[in-house]
Amino acid sequence: MRLFRFVAFAVVRAWQGFWRNAMMSLAATATMVLMLVLLSGLFIVIGGLNSGLAFIEKKVGVTARLVDNLPQAQLDTLLADIRQLPGVAKVDYVSPAMAMDRLRQAYRDQGMTLDLGGGGDITLYASVEIKLTDANRASSVADALRGRLEVDIITTRQVDYDKLLGIIGVIRTAGIAALALVGLTVLFMIVNMIRIAVYSRSNEIEIMRLVGASDSFIRWPFILEGILCGFIGAAVTIILVAVAWEPIQPIMVRVFQMPTAVSADFLAFLSAVILGVGLGLGAIGSWISVRANLASAA
Amino acid sequence: MTNTLQRPFVARPAPIEPVINMVDVGMTYPNGKVALADVNVSIPEGDFVFLVGPSGAGKSTFIRLLIREQLPTTGRVVVAGRDLATMRRSQVPALRRRIGIVFQDFRLLPSKTVYENVAFALEVTGATSAEIRQRVPRLLNLVGLHEHDDHLPAQLSGGEQQRTAIARALVHDPKMLIADEPTGNLDPVTSWDLIQLLIQINSMGTTVLMATHNQEIVNAMRRRVLALEHGTLVRDESGAAYEHEY
Repeated sequence: MRLFRFVAFAVVRAWQGFWRNAMMSLAATATMVLMLVLLSGLFIVIGGLNSGLAFIEKKVGVTARLVDNLPQAQLDTLLADIRQLPGVAKVDYVSPAMAMDRLRQAYRDQGMTLDLGGGGDITLYASVEIKLTDANRASSVADALRGRLEVDIITTRQVDYDKLLGIIGVIRTAGIAALALVGLTVLFMIVNMIRIAVYSRSNEIEIMRLVGASDSFIRWPFILEGILCGFIGAAVTIILVAVAWEPIQPIMVRVFQMPTAVSADFLAFLSAVILGVGLGLGAIGSWISVRANLASAA
Repeated sequence: MTNTLQRPFVARPAPIEPVINMVDVGMTYPNGKVALADVNVSIPEGDFVFLVGPSGAGKSTFIRLLIREQLPTTGRVVVAGRDLATMRRSQVPALRRRIGIVFQDFRLLPSKTVYENVAFALEVTGATSAEIRQRVPRLLNLVGLHEHDDHLPAQLSGGEQQRTAIARALVHDPKMLIADEPTGNLDPVTSWDLIQLLIQINSMGTTVLMATHNQEIVNAMRRRVLALEHGTLVRDESGAAYEHEY
């Protein structure tokens, strides 16, 4: 019961304190929102790119275009040799007829008809499509095939994969640096917000000390004030992210040219991260300020 | 059978425990200024004591040591049986609830009413609403402000503001009331009214220590006087006047 009274007292005082210095509190909250929006943006972009990466990872393999009119015996030997290579999960032979069927299907998928201009004798190349157990094996498999007489051209998506990994790395590094800067600004704003709150209530604090209020009664309202700033900032950001979630998805697909859609669970996870970071920064900032400015209290 | 050698039982008064005990107390600030030097004072429970001396004599330091706002650089300060030097930080609030304190400038919260100012002292120490509702009116009645409980400090006279501060200081039923120049901002008539209130509080068993420059009151009251000069206790005399009488 005593704990309940203490919590009620601290929460009410924190709420009153937040609005007493409304300008400073709202400025700190707005900076908190800015930082959390940046954080959300970084999470969404990296989450989307990771999703794209997983998609490419599944697709990454080696395609070996075969020379024309390869005898069946040589083809069988080649397929058997490929299956023996480390990192190979599956080997599929795509005949020229199958390749043509795929091409026609791809056109149909886009609502078009493949028009070969009456050239019925056009044939595509036969190829071997190799799926890998690990995307990083693409180079070694390609090297093993290079120089074989049955193989004309070797293609892999290793380059695309490496490029995407590079992009994600850059975005992650730049994002973390930006977040650290904005995070420090938020911390600074909260420390100052609480410092001003402490000074503006110095009379009250002195009276509290003189009448025998414990450290907890003096300090916790200020700490909760910082947490309140973090909570409001997180709530605003979660609403913004929820509203922007749907429109963002197609934009990301357009910008990154790959399926970057992430699951709805990701939104729940992101909301939890936003809330945790908001509350954490609010608590840390106010704790630092209270320790620095109320050191002599009690 | 009655033992004729047995002495009849005679009740002897128990020695009165001093509520304040200062032993060889010295206080030197980091800049080298000596605020108090070798002060030895013992104030029993229920006493009414004036602390006098010119500005800078060490009265404020004396009071700050009693409420453990500062610790002495030498000697011991024992309040209500507790040595303040060995007291843990977490125990200080409990000490301060046993000592009420009022100041010359009242230190009321301007946005709170008389009732709220007194209730605040209970609220911030975790009192229940029932306790607040029971204690605050009783104290406002004691200081004669029960009809002004909804007034803001700005709507009160200086005397009434000081009475509000006294009600707040008494809210935890302290053993001792420290009044630091309580009449400093009041006219003579109001000052006497306030002294009457302090006497009434003292008569109810609360020890009163009043720091003052008001010679008229000290001379008229003829209570124990502690006189400080340049940090030294130059006089500790019962039934005394403000100045030393030869």
